[in-house]
Amino acid sequence: MTATPPAPPSDESPTTHSDLLLVERTVAGDLRAYDLLVIKYQRRIERLIGRMVRDTDLVQDIAQETFLRAFRALHQFRGDAQFYTWLYRIAVNTAKKFLMDLKRDPVIYEGAMRADDDENETSRIGQELTNDETPETVLAAQEIAAAVNAAMEALPDDLRQAVTLREIEGLSYEEISTVMACPIGTVRSRIFRAREAISARVRPMLENRTGKRW
Amino acid sequence: MGGDTMNDDLKKREQLSALADGQLHGEELAQALQWAVEDDGRETWQAYHLVGDVMRSADLASADNGRDFLAKLHQRMAQEPLPVRPLLQTPTQIELPPVITAQAANDSAFRWKMVAGFASLAAVAAIGWNALGFVRGDTAGPQLASAPASAPGPVVAAGNPDAQVMIRDPRLDELLAAHKQYSGTTALQMPAGFLRNANFDSPSR
Repeated sequence: MTATPPAPPSDESPTTHSDLLLVERTVAGDLRAYDLLVIKYQRRIERLIGRMVRDTDLVQDIAQETFLRAFRALHQFRGDAQFYTWLYRIAVNTAKKFLMDLKRDPVIYEGAMRADDDENETSRIGQELTNDETPETVLAAQEIAAAVNAAMEALPDDLRQAVTLREIEGLSYEEISTVMACPIGTVRSRIFRAREAISARVRPMLENRTGKRW
Repeated sequence: MGGDTMNDDLKKREQLSALADGQLHGEELAQALQWAVEDDGRETWQAYHLVGDVMRSADLASADNGRDFLAKLHQRMAQEPLPVRPLLQTPTQIELPPVITAQAANDSAFRWKMVAGFASLAAVAAIGWNALGFVRGDTAGPQLASAPASAPGPVVAAGNPDAQVMIRDPRLDELLAAHKQYSGTTALQMPAGFLRNANFDSPSR
């Protein structure tokens, strides 16, 4: 039974530039910049690994190892590919190595392997719980998703359109300004206000694994 | 005073939002990066990216703020050397690693190939040398024995006592002389005393 990782991302993201800046800053010695990359990609990397491995603790361990390996090799990242594409490959290779090591213990291996190899963006909510997930954490995730949707619905049209074009369609500020027929500064302001409005609803729901809120 | 602080805070957040979209440059970029790595900035960064992730895919919704994950990662990163990019170093700082002459896996095969190559060269040289000697008519090469037909008796070396003496039976010479007509050579320069010319005479029409 082998879980197949989903296909690597191929979309060209305007955030590539900011990723490269953060990489450069990290390589220049400011390790706090690497935190921003970790925060940005942790969820996506964990979801990717979660499609290959069932055990949530193992997902966390593999994600840790992925970011550590990426950190070790960060000076080799030249920006030829997107940072996430590069990170994705490291994550898949790290997960495969973990699984190969686990094969020595078939009992643990069978428990750790994920039963499905679904490559679509299907929701995990509603599926069976993984080892470390509790009904509370699943409920909290559902609440966050609902809060984001509700906040989106409550946004004025111009803000909702701007943030949708940016976050979902992946357009740059220049492209959004063309679509919405407004200056780039206005685009920037609208996206910021939309984010502020949505994140204001989400922030109180964020907590760390020990239950402590921000 | 409080209004200025709030405006400052809003400005920082807006810069962070633009940073998340890769739209900052110059002084604004430096300011945003400076604030992004502080606790408030990091929290804002986390919230903005969570919002974007959930908008794209609901299964990225998570209540985990990632602090534990980062703390654990920091502990492990602390044991790692800094990922310094070599090109950023000045030439005087670059320390070249010691040259390691690792033995290739096919070294032995390569050596045998060298030996075979030299052997081939030696063989070609030897054949060429012999061929050259043959073209020049070098006396060092093998010669057919010959004797004057008028030498009826055994040839005895005279004068120089060190000279080699070839003793030959005169009857052999007589026999060869008597059968000379049968000892021609073919175009292949081979003795062909036993060969006879033959031609085909077709009947006339």
